[in-house]
Amino acid sequence: MISIQKLDYYYAVKKQPARCALSDISLQIDPGTLFTLTGPNGGGKSTLFRLLCGLSLPAQGEIRLNGLDLQHHAAEARRLTGVVFQSPALDKHLTLLENFTIHRDLHQLPQALFSSRLEEDMAWTGLAGRLHERVGTLSGGMARRVELVKALLHRPKIVLMDEPTNGLDPGGRRDFLQVIDRLRQERQMTVLMTSHLFDEAERADQVGILHQGTLLAVGSPSQLRDRLGQEMVVIQGKDRQQALFLSQLLEKKPGLSIHHRESELRVEGIDSATLNNLLTDHREQFQTLSVKKPTLEDLFIHLTEQQRGHSS
Amino acid sequence: MMQAMVALSKRELIRFFRQGHRVVGSVAQPVLFWVLLGSGFSASFQAPGYPGLSYSEYFFPGILLMVVLFSGIFSTITVIEDRNQGLLQGVLVSPAPRMAIVLGKVIGAMAIGLLQALFFMLAIPFLGMDPSFANLLLLLLGLVVAALGFTALGFLIAWNMESTAGFHAIMSVFLLPLWMLSGALFPMEQAPVWLESIMLVNPVSHALVLIRLPLYHSTEVLLANPDYLTAFAIAVAWAMGMLLLALRQIKRPDCSAPAPTS
Repeated sequence: MISIQKLDYYYAVKKQPARCALSDISLQIDPGTLFTLTGPNGGGKSTLFRLLCGLSLPAQGEIRLNGLDLQHHAAEARRLTGVVFQSPALDKHLTLLENFTIHRDLHQLPQALFSSRLEEDMAWTGLAGRLHERVGTLSGGMARRVELVKALLHRPKIVLMDEPTNGLDPGGRRDFLQVIDRLRQERQMTVLMTSHLFDEAERADQVGILHQGTLLAVGSPSQLRDRLGQEMVVIQGKDRQQALFLSQLLEKKPGLSIHHRESELRVEGIDSATLNNLLTDHREQFQTLSVKKPTLEDLFIHLTEQQRGHSS
Repeated sequence: MMQAMVALSKRELIRFFRQGHRVVGSVAQPVLFWVLLGSGFSASFQAPGYPGLSYSEYFFPGILLMVVLFSGIFSTITVIEDRNQGLLQGVLVSPAPRMAIVLGKVIGAMAIGLLQALFFMLAIPFLGMDPSFANLLLLLLGLVVAALGFTALGFLIAWNMESTAGFHAIMSVFLLPLWMLSGALFPMEQAPVWLESIMLVNPVSHALVLIRLPLYHSTEVLLANPDYLTAFAIAVAWAMGMLLLALRQIKRPDCSAPAPTS
């Protein structure tokens, strides 16, 4: 279980007040959950990840991993945590086996246990025959798999992964996420991963949306999507001016929520009369009009615009 | 702790021997220094208190010191590379004690320098020096203590540096003058008073005493020599101090800045 309570973190800025990177973050992740922390780059995901790894200390707040206070019981907490960093923490001059051996020694694993686990874990990587090759000869996808095997060798109860699919092709991404999900279920691990890709977050049990250091929403993907309620209409204007015209037209209707970006409009709460009016009287102003179910990305856009509205 | 320390030290050595250019460079540079400076100064050099001593022979302890110092310190550059490549974070999130991480890195880097020094020590009989076995052990002890202190210093500097270029720049303006003013290149007695004062407080000067004296004095004389014993005490204190500072540095987490007061 991962428990985060009222976490604040600030970055020092020269000759200026400290910049808030995380503000009042509280989160409870139940055992066995796959939790994805998503949001745009610069939203605070990596800062929160460093705090969870114990590489940084917060200004205030507390992190507990399986009940252990990370600040005061760091070594015990690290024993039950496996970490996968954005770029693989592997020495390319060393062979796969030599990299694994260092991990064995850092975690003081007995040799027999290490050998049996390594054999078991290398079986699904497809790299079992390359244990004596240098890491530098592996492709990015292979190095990712090796990194995952390394992070799991000590059989952690909690796995933390920072953008683990970064740099992988779509097939590699899919395979990697499938392996994570399977191992998580088999070994009852709690997995927290960060990702700026909303479609990756859709696969999680629970999702947290982090933006400008604030946790905007937490819940299962379906719960979060339901927050937007009804289906939304996406209108692709013929150009920016036409889209702006349509936006101004729709703004006159009460109860509509309109998100305007470039030549695209996303409209929530549109009724059939307004929709008919658009299709009959303003057909020449847009290229396409589609009705779609909201995604996590739509929710993110909705929440950030709401936040902007509150602050202005 | 021992297991983690040995693993990290071993890694430094494996990396070193797998990078051929590092091996060649680390041997060629001191050889070139020794041969070129030794030949260039031999005609004009006369060390006070050492009649008939050639410059190559006088310079030899300085070369041994240079090897352990430069090799050890520059090997800690891997701290910066490891951090940039994410390897360091991988080690820091492990339950290994912080002391094991410091010692693993420092001992590994130090071992690289000591292996090179052992290679250079093969030249001792050819220079006409005939130290006893006990003296050779004392020489080795001196090299270990010197290497430990200055490699820990390298670790300390590398820990706070973001780029390897910055580390090289700091080392060039800091380490090289320290070594030059240790008595490795010219005797302290021949230096002007102001320079002699700097050389006296230079920790590298004391490390050089631990390397030079065992080559010329018997063990009994050496162990009764206050200069040798003082130098040994200073070198040990320096090594312990640097190790403790390095440990303090690595234990200090990256803390949040304080919240701005509204």
